[in-house]
Order: sequence, then structure tokens, then C-alpha cells
Amino acid sequence: MILRARGLRRYFGEFCALDGVSLEIREGEFVSVVGPNGAGKSTLINVLTGLLKPNAGRVFFKEREITGLGPVKLCRLGMARSFQLVHIFPELTVLEFLKVAVVSRLGRGGRLFSSLARDREVHGQALEVAELFGLAEKQTTPAKHLPQGDKKLLDVASAFALQPQIILLDEPTSGVSTREKHTIMDILVSASKRIGIKSIIQVEHDMDIVFGYSDRIIALHQGKLLAEGTPDAIKANEVVVNTVVGKKEWARRA
Amino acid sequence: MRRAGLALVVALILAMPFVAGDYYVTLMLPFFAYSVILLGLNLLFGYTGLLSFGHALFIGVGAYAAAFLTSKFGVMHLEAILLAAAGAAVLIAAPIGGLCVRYVKIYFAMLTLAFGMLFHSFLLKFYFVTGGDEGMRVLQPFLLGFDLSQIPKVRFLTRPFYYYSVVVLAVATFVMWRIVSSPFGLCLRAIRDNPDKAQSLGVSVKRYRWYAFVISAAYAAVGGALLGPTTGQVDPNLAYWTHSGNIVFMMLLGGFANFFGPLVGALVFIFLQDTVMSIVPYWRLVFGAILALIVIAAPGGLMGLLDRRAVSWGEKSRQGGAPP
Amino acid sequence: MLVHLANVLLSGVFHASILFLVAAGLQVVFGVQRIFNLACGSFYALGAYVGVSFVQASVQAGLPPGLFVLALVAGGLCVAVVGPVVERGLLRFVYDRDETFQLLLTFAVVLMLEDVIRMLWGTSPLSTGGLYLLYGQLKVLGVTVPVYNLIVIGASLLIALLIGYMLARTKFGRIIRAAADNREMSEALGVDMRRVYVRVFTLGTLLGTVGGALVIPATAAMTEMGIELIVEAFAVVVIGGLGSMRGAFVGALVVGVLRSIAISTYPELEMLLIYLIVIAVLVLKPRGLFGGAAA
Repeated sequence: MILRARGLRRYFGEFCALDGVSLEIREGEFVSVVGPNGAGKSTLINVLTGLLKPNAGRVFFKEREITGLGPVKLCRLGMARSFQLVHIFPELTVLEFLKVAVVSRLGRGGRLFSSLARDREVHGQALEVAELFGLAEKQTTPAKHLPQGDKKLLDVASAFALQPQIILLDEPTSGVSTREKHTIMDILVSASKRIGIKSIIQVEHDMDIVFGYSDRIIALHQGKLLAEGTPDAIKANEVVVNTVVGKKEWARRA
Repeated sequence: MRRAGLALVVALILAMPFVAGDYYVTLMLPFFAYSVILLGLNLLFGYTGLLSFGHALFIGVGAYAAAFLTSKFGVMHLEAILLAAAGAAVLIAAPIGGLCVRYVKIYFAMLTLAFGMLFHSFLLKFYFVTGGDEGMRVLQPFLLGFDLSQIPKVRFLTRPFYYYSVVVLAVATFVMWRIVSSPFGLCLRAIRDNPDKAQSLGVSVKRYRWYAFVISAAYAAVGGALLGPTTGQVDPNLAYWTHSGNIVFMMLLGGFANFFGPLVGALVFIFLQDTVMSIVPYWRLVFGAILALIVIAAPGGLMGLLDRRAVSWGEKSRQGGAPP
Repeated sequence: MLVHLANVLLSGVFHASILFLVAAGLQVVFGVQRIFNLACGSFYALGAYVGVSFVQASVQAGLPPGLFVLALVAGGLCVAVVGPVVERGLLRFVYDRDETFQLLLTFAVVLMLEDVIRMLWGTSPLSTGGLYLLYGQLKVLGVTVPVYNLIVIGASLLIALLIGYMLARTKFGRIIRAAADNREMSEALGVDMRRVYVRVFTLGTLLGTVGGALVIPATAAMTEMGIELIVEAFAVVVIGGLGSMRGAFVGALVVGVLRSIAISTYPELEMLLIYLIVIAVLVLKPRGLFGGAAA
């Protein structure tokens, strides 16, 4: 069991965005979180990764309680994430961007006087990730000048550069064309194998992607766990199909 | 190319006392002092994205450290004075910075402004300690252990003290260059660009901002201590908020996106101020217009005009400035 | 003892009523335009100098000296024309920039106006002479107060009420509140933000210049008065909460009265105390006592 959460509850004012959600993620799993807008998917990711504190409930990472630990500490323990909206460092080049993650993982950010340019280890590891994500050719391009798809890819790549044991991706393919989505997903899966990431949790809307890549699917609705199971089990679950996918959409696909 | 340019500048600075008149040579002394100050200020703004509107506080700490040590405690060695100034600034900046770095943008600027004015009113009102608005005298310090008081004042300033200041600036520049090209420097730039993302990558945003604050305070104090011996006098205006505004002005004038930009800004500011004041008494009118022009049309400053790549950072940025 | 206290309080309230005007100008501009306008203090100084000139002109023109208050107000209103000039000429170019650059642009205005004042009026202090006590003095609670002080306090209260009425009841007030809440939304609803900005900034300027004009009989116009007052007004808005009118009112009272008490007991503490409070508020309650609301 790499990640375990029990009875997570989170309010925004009066609104209960997360209403007693429990889940378990095993090593080696690729889990997708699905649900209609406002189901609490992003809140779940934000609570699991320490960006938000839950009002109730507990989170365990490899059986160690991590409830209330901030993102920086979770990073050290081996948990990484990406955001729904693209988060980049606009003025940093692609390679510098990835170096931030490598420097952070190696704990070298506190080195005030050593030369970054001469640090072969940091350079090599950042370049390796750039190559995995097909960004090596653009390594000297400032992030702000990349096309939208590459920005998203770089954002996700930097989380991979942390070499986490588990990674939580909040819509890694949002804002990308359907054709590109599969390319990105293939890159993510192969990169996670190369880097040695044990488990992936992703929030995703595109059901083709969800069914195509997941080992297990967790469906949320109005802050509660609606269902969970294998892609085949979820496909057969009429309640999930109705609330999450929508009947018409489903008919169109079939 | 870049190295050749730097070498040329260094050669010019070293030759200046022998080719230029004493008047212009003494004008270089505040340039050296402000350059040290601005290297620190730009670590905070250009590299970390925090605008301090109270940095004159630390200039005041350094300048008054020099005044106290020379005229009250008889400590005349400038090396000791500079170290003490930096040490005092670190001690004062550590708690202040700890509070300030919890905020960004306008709230950070306001909190630093408030601390700066707090120190200013202390200097002004506790006259039995600080001499009030009269200020204090800074005696001519010993350089490298040599008492040079038998040399005429102008000669002292234009030769030994001039070269001493050059060396201090050179060391300060070298150390700052190491800092900004270190892994730490990279993390600061990441924090400036997107603190949320930096945090999600495991960068301790507040702690690194705090380091940057304390380092920049130490720089301001060393620069402040260098300002004293030239005029032989320090007063509370050194810590006044308009002085903070002026050093931000110098930084912007030269260009904060470039490592040497703020130094260019200091040079242009000092010599232009001198030129304008020799023609009309209204230098503020001219400089206000220049500042307005820079903010509106060339946020990258003079170096930004040379190096067009660097300009876009002044555009509306991406994070909210409100505190939690 | 009681007399002393009343004396201290009254002089504090007088100072507070001037501070309120300048701080209110700061607040309305920050509330709508999100710009912290350092030049508010310079508008105040400008108002003071123009006030002196208007009073001198009116006396020379043979108007009865008793009308000098009207001359002051007229001066304050007239010079508010620098507001739209600054807004259209400078600020409108930086609305889409980082707020630190907006702050610096207002600092540029501070520098320029300081020298404009030097050019037009010279560097020696100016005053309206003996007009201050023209309306006589009044005994309140055993303290003699110049009637003029009471007039200023009354005028400031009146202006506060007018602003409150305007924000709550008029169309312009509703637009201001809407714009302070959500700029994009108001724009989408068809509000011409360009016009709103000009009018809001002019209002902010006007409050500063009138404040400066009103204070002048009680003191003397000096070139540094603007940069000195802006840091006090800054303290007021931080304590009260950025953007809040109620905050400006309460903050002005806190700063005015505390400063007055400090001066009469431990003069060393004068502004020191105020800045300590500012820091405490920023650290403990960064949105100030009345933060959040635009009105």
C-alpha cells in the first residue's frame, strides 16, 4: 500500500467539496479519478499532496501519516504532482526548469556559492528527463516561448524529474488536442517506467484515455466516492456511466 | 566579448584617479557604495521578485555602524567596520525578514516600508543616542591597519580609499555572481517566476526568500558603511523612505533583469544627478520624468534597451498578491 | 489633568480629520484601481500651496478675510485638475503591469511634484499669517480651541458622510463598489472603466488637495510636507485596511490621537509607536481592521 486515505473531508465555507472519501493506492497501479465538474477531484489531489489541509480524515504514505504535511516535505518523501492549469517558470529555459526539480531532489538548493553550470550530475539528470519527454532540442528555449502543448509537457516533466515514488497528475492532457493526448500519455507511461515511479494517480475527463491506460478507476460525485473498480467494471456500472460520462455521450461512442 | 567589455571597464576604473579630476574621482566613491547596495537589492527584486521599499533601513544600519564604531568606540579599522556592519544587518534583518517574507508584492513593499520608517524615527527621535537630525560624524578610518590621517582628506579619498572601495566592490560582485549562478540562485529565480510551482517541486519558498532578504540586507549595510567616510557624516535621511525609493530607481534605471544593470543605473544616476544639478536645481523633476519614462516605456532599463530579451518581466504577473 | 487630556484629544482629532481626507483619497484609488498612490501626499502638499496662494489673492482682491475658508476650498478644488492629468498622462499606461511598477510610477510623480512646488513657490515655508485665529477661539471642556479647528473637523466629518452617501446611494457609488469587487465583471456589464478610472482618480486627488488646503492656516506649507504625510496616511490605511473607507476613518482617528498622546507624553515615541502598530497589524491582520470591503 503506497498511499492510503481515510474519511477525507474538506469544506470551502459552507460548501463540502470532499465528503468523507477513503481510498487505497497500491504499488505499481495507474489509477484514474473521474467525475463531473465540481465532484471534488482537484480538491482530492490538493488534499493528498498537502496543498490543502483536510478538515477531517487522515492520509498515509507508505503507512506513515502525512496528514497536514506541506508540499515541500511530501516532495522529500517521494510524492510529486502537477497542476490542472499549466504552471511554468516563464523566464527559465527548459533545462533550467528541470534543473530546479533535480536541485531540489538532491537537496542542493541551499548551496549558495557552488557553480550550477559545473554540476555535471544536475545537468545530466535534467537532460535525461528532457530527452525522455522529447524536450531536449528545446533545452535553451525560455519556457514562455514554448507552444502550449510543450508547456504542459514541461510542467509534468519537472514533476517526473523529482523521481517520486508516486505522482499525482491533475489533468495532464487538458488543453491538448485528442491526437496529442495519446502521445503525451505514452510518454508519461514510458517515462514513469524509466524513472522508476511506482504509482500514478491522474484526474482525467477524456474517457478514452481513462479506459485505455488505467488499472483502476475511482469515480467521485458531489464529494463522495461513487464507485471504484477496473475499467471493465466501471464500463458496466450504469450509475457511473450516467453521472460521469452521460448517456448520450456513451451512446455516441458505442 | 563580454569579458573584454568587463576588462575595459575595470581598466578604466583603475586608471581614473590618474586621468580624471579629483571632483569626478570623488563622485565615483558613492557609485562604489551604491553598487554594493544595489547588488543586494537586485538579488531580492530581480532574482527573487520581492520589491523592498525599506532597504534604506539597512543602509542606515551600515552607515551608523561606521559612525558609532569610529566616533564612539574608537574602532578605526575599516575591515572591522565593514564586518560589523554586515553582522549588525544580519542580526536585524533575520527577524524582520522572517516576518516580511510571509508576504509578497504590495504587502511586502508596505511591510518593509514600515520597518524602514520605524528605524528612521528611531534615528530621528532618540537623539541622545543617535544625534537626532544632526546625525553623527564618521571619522577617517584606517585601511588595512594603516592610519592615513596625515594625508590630506581629498588625497585620502581619491587614492587609498578609492582603491579600497574598488576592491570591496570587486569582492562583493564576485560573491554575488557566485550566488546568482549557484543552485540557490536558480531556486530564487524559480520562486520569482512561480512560487506555487517552486513549492510543488520541493523548493522551500519562504526559507529561500528569507536567505535572499538577509543577504541583501548585509550588502546594503556594507554599502552604507562605505558611504560614511566620503562625507564624514551620517544622518537619518539615509534611512528615509525616499532614499529607499531612490535606490529602487537606480536599479530600474540600469535594468533589474541584468546582473550588471543596477550598477549601470547607479553610475548614470550619480553622474546625471551631478550634471543636472549643475544646470538647474530641480533634479527631482528631471529624474521623476526619467523614472516615469522607464516604467512606462522601458521597464528593462538601460541594459534592457541594449538587451531586448529581458523586458517582458514587468508585465502583469501570474500570482495573486494578497496575503493568506 | 482632564484639561490636558481634552487638549491632547482635540489636537489629535484635528490632525485625524486631515489625515482622513488624504487617506480616503488613497483608499478610493486603491479600492478601484488597485494602485497604491504614493503621490497622494504630494497632492496634499500641492493643495496647501495653492490654498496659500488663493487666500493671498483673495485678500489682495479686497475680499473680506473672513471668507478665506472659501478661498482655501476653491484652491483645493481647482488644483485637483492635476488628478486627471496624472491619470491620463501616466497611470493609464501601466494598468496591465505588475503592481510594483505602478507603485514606482507614483513615486516618479512624487519626485516631479516636489520640484514643481519648489519652482513655483520657492523653498521657504509659506503661511496664511494671522488668519488662523480670525474666527476666534472657543472654550470646550476648559480647553481653548481655535474655531478654525472645529470647522475643519466638521468639514471632514461632512465629507466622510458625503462619501458614505455617495458610495451607498448614487449610481457612481454603485459603479465604484462593483469595480472594486470585480473589474472584469463591471467591464462585461458595460461600465466604461476608462471614465470610471478618471473620475475615481480625480476624486482621490481632490480629497488630498482639499485636505492640504484646509490644514494650511494651522501650520505652514513646506516642500517636504507631502512626503512626510504620505507615510502617515500609509499607516492609516494599513491600520484601517487597504481600500476601506470605514478603515480610513478609524485608522485616521487611531493615528491622529495616538500620535498626539505620544507627543505630549513621550515625544520620542511619536511616529515610532505608529509604525509599531502598523507592523503589528500587517503581521497579525494583514487586511487591516476593516479590510476586504471597498466601502
